[in-house]
Amino acid sequence: MATEAVGLPFEATSTAAWLVWILPFAAAMIIPGIGKLSKQATGYAAVGFALMSALSAASLLPLAIEGSEIHKQITWIEAIGLKGGVLADPLSVIMANVVGWISFLIMIYSTGYMKGDKDITRFWFWMMFFIGSMQLIVLSDNLLQVFFGWEGVGLASYALISFWYRDKKKDHVGQEGRTVLGLLDYYAPTHAGMKAFIMTKVGDVMMIAGMLLIFLYAGTFGFKELMGGTEWAVAMNAEGMLVPAFVLLFGGAIGKSAQFPLNEWLLEAMTGPTAVSALIHAATMVKAGVFLVARIGPIVFALGAAGIMADQFFEIVAWIGAITALLLATQGMVNPEIKKVLAYSTGSQIGYMMMALGIAGLSHQYVDGYTAGFFHLISHAMFKASLFMAAGSLLHVVGSRFMTDMGGLRKQMRKTYAFMWAAGLGLMGAPFITTGFWSKDAIFASVYTSGNEWALPLFAIAVLTAVITAFYTTRMIGMVFFGNKSRHIQKMEEEGHHIHEASLSMWVPYGILAVLTIGIGLIGLSTEHGLHHMFEVYLGDSFGIHSGYAKPESTVLPEFLQGVNPVALGASLVAFAVGIGLGYTFYIGRWVDPVRFVNSNIFFYAIHKVILNRWYLNAMVYWCFVVAPLWLARGVFRYFEKTAMDYGMNDGFQKATAWGARVVQGTQTGVSQSYLFVFGAGLLFVVLILLM
Amino acid sequence: MLEITSTPLVLIAILGTVGVALPIISIARKEKGSNSFYAVIAFAALIVSMGYVGYQFVSDHVVPSALFSEDVLVDDAFGGFFALALLIVAVFTTVGSFNYMRRHNSPAVYYSLILLSTIGMVLVAYSTDLVMLFVAWELMSIPTYVLVGFMKRNPSSNEAALKYFLFGALSSAVIVYGISLSYGLTGSTNIGEVIRGYAALDPSLYPLALLSVGMFIAGFGFKMGLVPFHQWLPDTYEGAPPTITALLAAATKKAGFAATIRIVVMGTVALNVDWTLALGILAVMTMTVGNVAAIMQKNISRMLAYSSIAHAGYILIGLAVAPHSSLGLQGSLYQILNHAVMKGAAFIAIAGIVTTLAVTHIDKLKGLGRRMPITSLGIVISLFALAGVPPLAGFWSKVLLFGSALDASATLGWASWLAIAGVLNSALSLAYYGWITRKMYFEGEKEKRVKEPKSVIGVMVFSMIFLVGFGVYPEPILQFVEFATPVLSLGLMP
Repeated sequence: MATEAVGLPFEATSTAAWLVWILPFAAAMIIPGIGKLSKQATGYAAVGFALMSALSAASLLPLAIEGSEIHKQITWIEAIGLKGGVLADPLSVIMANVVGWISFLIMIYSTGYMKGDKDITRFWFWMMFFIGSMQLIVLSDNLLQVFFGWEGVGLASYALISFWYRDKKKDHVGQEGRTVLGLLDYYAPTHAGMKAFIMTKVGDVMMIAGMLLIFLYAGTFGFKELMGGTEWAVAMNAEGMLVPAFVLLFGGAIGKSAQFPLNEWLLEAMTGPTAVSALIHAATMVKAGVFLVARIGPIVFALGAAGIMADQFFEIVAWIGAITALLLATQGMVNPEIKKVLAYSTGSQIGYMMMALGIAGLSHQYVDGYTAGFFHLISHAMFKASLFMAAGSLLHVVGSRFMTDMGGLRKQMRKTYAFMWAAGLGLMGAPFITTGFWSKDAIFASVYTSGNEWALPLFAIAVLTAVITAFYTTRMIGMVFFGNKSRHIQKMEEEGHHIHEASLSMWVPYGILAVLTIGIGLIGLSTEHGLHHMFEVYLGDSFGIHSGYAKPESTVLPEFLQGVNPVALGASLVAFAVGIGLGYTFYIGRWVDPVRFVNSNIFFYAIHKVILNRWYLNAMVYWCFVVAPLWLARGVFRYFEKTAMDYGMNDGFQKATAWGARVVQGTQTGVSQSYLFVFGAGLLFVVLILLM
Repeated sequence: MLEITSTPLVLIAILGTVGVALPIISIARKEKGSNSFYAVIAFAALIVSMGYVGYQFVSDHVVPSALFSEDVLVDDAFGGFFALALLIVAVFTTVGSFNYMRRHNSPAVYYSLILLSTIGMVLVAYSTDLVMLFVAWELMSIPTYVLVGFMKRNPSSNEAALKYFLFGALSSAVIVYGISLSYGLTGSTNIGEVIRGYAALDPSLYPLALLSVGMFIAGFGFKMGLVPFHQWLPDTYEGAPPTITALLAAATKKAGFAATIRIVVMGTVALNVDWTLALGILAVMTMTVGNVAAIMQKNISRMLAYSSIAHAGYILIGLAVAPHSSLGLQGSLYQILNHAVMKGAAFIAIAGIVTTLAVTHIDKLKGLGRRMPITSLGIVISLFALAGVPPLAGFWSKVLLFGSALDASATLGWASWLAIAGVLNSALSLAYYGWITRKMYFEGEKEKRVKEPKSVIGVMVFSMIFLVGFGVYPEPILQFVEFATPVLSLGLMP
């Protein structure tokens, strides 16, 4: 079943697996050259290569569906046993398709969104580099290669978040002049790019530490090799290093997926072009962390069969996910910037996925939580990409990132309005018709039925988060499309700007994804069952993880809902109803004025303020890790660097070296006689040491 | 007997015929200055030669590194490895001269001399007989004396040639003396016979044998640029035409190493003396003096000359620890190949700069990154590879070299100090490599881009691909080096 071979990868099927990530890199390499000839052609080249990469990924699908895999290795550096390779198993093939196709749609969107930007070549270069790095992560067969992709993603995100590096006022995020704890909550693109780079780097350092720990014991970075034996795990476990190593690996995922406590970079990342935000949130960046957990989770869980329990690892994953889900969802309720609301929402939804992947390891039915987490990843990728691209259209048309500058747009932008509802319903988890509902329901069910001691608190957090999610999504749609036109739009219209629908190349991509959200949602349950079956076979064959028991047949529910947990279902329905109901009250029906409501008593006011100030987390991070170290650095500079280092070490070393060089040069007289003398003396010297 | 199709004989035929024919053609054509015509012929001859060496490898006509043979030449992997490295440099020199020689007279003689010298170098690597080796050594050296002084109206070129010739003559004499001593002791000039004779030598004659080994070290050490036999080197490298400096630094130096590995290393194994210490001391002295002197240089040719002294020191580490670690000679061979490409490319780049901008002073290189972007990038990559910055090819050879010293420290206590000295020296060398880089990229105002010679660009592109490509994926070269490295053990003795 498993086709495994060592050698050059020249067979047709495995070539496709290589091409998936090589093609985007190849495109990145040739795009600057094309840019010299024609700027417009760069866009076509990028879209073309993205399509080819996606098609290569699609050609692997039959393999994944029949449950087999491709694993090809080439020797990279024999001496230290390093190998490179591709591993196309069901997990990576599905992920590669999600990434490939969503990236392709975003690339089409970008041709419209970025039209006329004079740095367009640089944009396409980094976008392709971004996609290539992500596909490298997905299809790698070992941790080291994953890390290369991981860093590539980090680099590309840095370059794209600060794409508009001239730091114009319109490209900032946050409200100008607003301060939290004495620090400005208003960021320029270059600052934001740096922030994302450094914060994710904190996670990367943990990840490389974890990788090297594992390598120390296992002598390999390869996933297949790690699955193949348990001696390394036994050895690590005996010294108590197993859980720490995997938690460190998870640290990389925390950084990349913007999980608590490394979540703050995600908001400022909104300074990038919206197409970039869509790519980061739906396909390439934050999903990398989830994918990593999905990659290593089964390896850890399968160790249970060898008597090595790593429950702490899964508990940490689940709780980090739960905390993030709630923390970021609350902030989504109050923020006035549309892209930031979506960013908070992403972090929160990723938290759901982490929660599911974590709880999976704590239950008997590993495959339930695993499928739920991954299914949510897929559905989230679709609706979030759609929402971001739609938000980009709004920004494009209105010219402001604040929802308070929008309002009443549903007449002028009918298509965007409809698609945003469709995708938004997916995010809210509208019952029975959206993918988001089924995937979220699966997460609820897996948490509820896990039988873990923490199941109930986690379940409560999940449901509360769902209520909040439905509320802020309704709020967003309400503020943008309902109510009266804002003063900003009135002013625009007075100045003769006509508010109109976005261009074809822009609305088609997010239209497709919005329709898919509903379309797949209609057959969501059977999709989930298909995925569940696929992963059941995959986990069983590759890891030896078998499901313990068959699902109990529910008698309460009607025929078409067979296999759904009634408690989870009920909770989903209630959460959706409460959330959308509250949102409707405040922002669509506008029966209660939210501002007056918040100011009505000191309690609400205080909560609102804390949430709006990002729970003071961002400010605290800055005080502890930016302001304080800067003070320290200045002190060290003044009292140590300027004195001991500069006058002592630096000058001293320089003088010593210069003196040595002068001595040597002094012997270089340029006079042949003295050279000949040294030659003769040298001969004598050599013979003498030989005789010694 | 060697077959008529064996690599050294065919190389003699190809390069010798073309080398002799070039001046004759030039006389027959009765015209001057058609530089590129002769360059193309020489280039073609070199490429054909490389192709033949490669073909012999691919078609399995090459015996594993034997070191010994009954004949005067042997067609083994060791010689083939050096032949490839040396031919690469000869190609660099020829290609670089396309542009450099455009304004100078008698190109036919110039290319002819390069080809003849190349035959000499290649034969040094293939020789298994002391007399053959000496003849090849002279065939290599004499054309280069002429080439160094090729700019006959330029006083510094003349001075360089004179110094070079003086020391060349002296070292040849020393080598001949070493040969005659060993012949007197063993009654043979075949290297295998000599070493067998040494192994069975009466202990009372040991001092004489050691004297002859010392003579070999000194004689070859002159070409390798070992301290204290190095003093001619900076003056010569600075004064010679930069294309010829590339040939000296990257190729003839390597022939010296080939001869040393064939004779000195094996001879001292037979004599069973602790020669590791002698070579170890020379290695540390060489790399330290080279790097310290390079730091304060103002002329880029001279700076790189000292840097190439330092590199001879690194390579010598591998030779010193060879009997204690099988990685030692592998590291040396790998570093020899890398150094050939890195230094060759760097000097060809300097030749390009000299012809287009006529500067060699480091302060004048300000803003070179804008004026000659591809040349500058090639220089920077070569320099960083010389410093051993990953992921360039130079990194892996240094890893192998310093690793071999650590490996050897299990049986040779002080060997780890060689690795420490090597690492410290590499760090020190970054100071001046970094300084050049800073001048080229971070200083200077808005210079205009000038037209870069196409031939130089060709060399730069090749070396960049080589250094980056084999830096990222070193496996093929590692295997090639492993195949070409002779295994040192007395069991293999003839």
